[in-house]
Amino acid sequence: MADMDVDMEAAPAASSKGAPVPVRSIEGWIVLVTNVHEEASEEDLNDLFAEYGEVQNLHLNLDRRTGYVKGYALAEYSTKEEARAAVDGINGKKLLDQTVAADFAFVRPPPGAVNGGNNSGGSAGRGRGNRGTAAGRRQRSTSPGKAEGGEE
Amino acid sequence: MSSPNEQFYIRYYSGHSGRFGHEFLEFDFRVVPGGCALARYANNSNYRNDSLIRKEMCVSALMIKEIKRIIKESEIMKEDDAKWPQKNKDGRQELEIRMGNEHISFETAKIGSLVDIQESADPEGLRVFYYLVQDLKAMVFSLIGLHFKIKPI
Repeated sequence: MADMDVDMEAAPAASSKGAPVPVRSIEGWIVLVTNVHEEASEEDLNDLFAEYGEVQNLHLNLDRRTGYVKGYALAEYSTKEEARAAVDGINGKKLLDQTVAADFAFVRPPPGAVNGGNNSGGSAGRGRGNRGTAAGRRQRSTSPGKAEGGEE
Repeated sequence: MSSPNEQFYIRYYSGHSGRFGHEFLEFDFRVVPGGCALARYANNSNYRNDSLIRKEMCVSALMIKEIKRIIKESEIMKEDDAKWPQKNKDGRQELEIRMGNEHISFETAKIGSLVDIQESADPEGLRVFYYLVQDLKAMVFSLIGLHFKIKPI
């Protein structure tokens, strides 16, 4: 998408140190938790996530075959601080006897990756009818790359 | 566990051509150097003059690990599409996965209901495919929803 390209140009790089840089989603920061017990409830997860901030959104998808929890959960926080605290606090924690892992779900693409993808994937669909690409920037408070953690 | 830099690619397509043009849903994940995966999603229908929706995002290594786990546990890599229903006028589905040294590329008809599976020549295999696709779609819709969708007020 055009606005993603804009972000990428403004924000060079998934860090020279190698660790991928978390990226903001449209309404906040998304934290992924894996190895979630199949009998965990939405309330269990909400309790877990709520320790680190106000949970704006929670997805706890079920296994379509068994009806039990598939094994991962996605939570949205408004601020990067809350999401960072959740990642650090939840990673390695026990939930219903299982050690869970946590990290940001989305990261900044390495330089060139998305542009390359666009080209090879055929750019026919770029610039959706109703949203002029000239306008470019979407309702994103700041480009995530400009000031680390300065989006809130 | 497999190394995070192991080759990994998955693509799913479901579509048909009809009254509203080429209607399809497609997504793929491709691991790129640096340990993240580039995910692409496209959804097209000309129904009521809808236009193509295309999204791209980069997911973290933990997310890739989870996708791989879901694929491995489904045991789809052991299946074979030889006896699955052929694509037809109602459309087709494609699933391609490359994981380490393994590679599958399946094509079959759209599955309307569980009856289609039961009546097929390989209900066991087709069921694996059907539920894996459902689980993957649910995951992709969650990711797209959280990353791009503005909450209705």
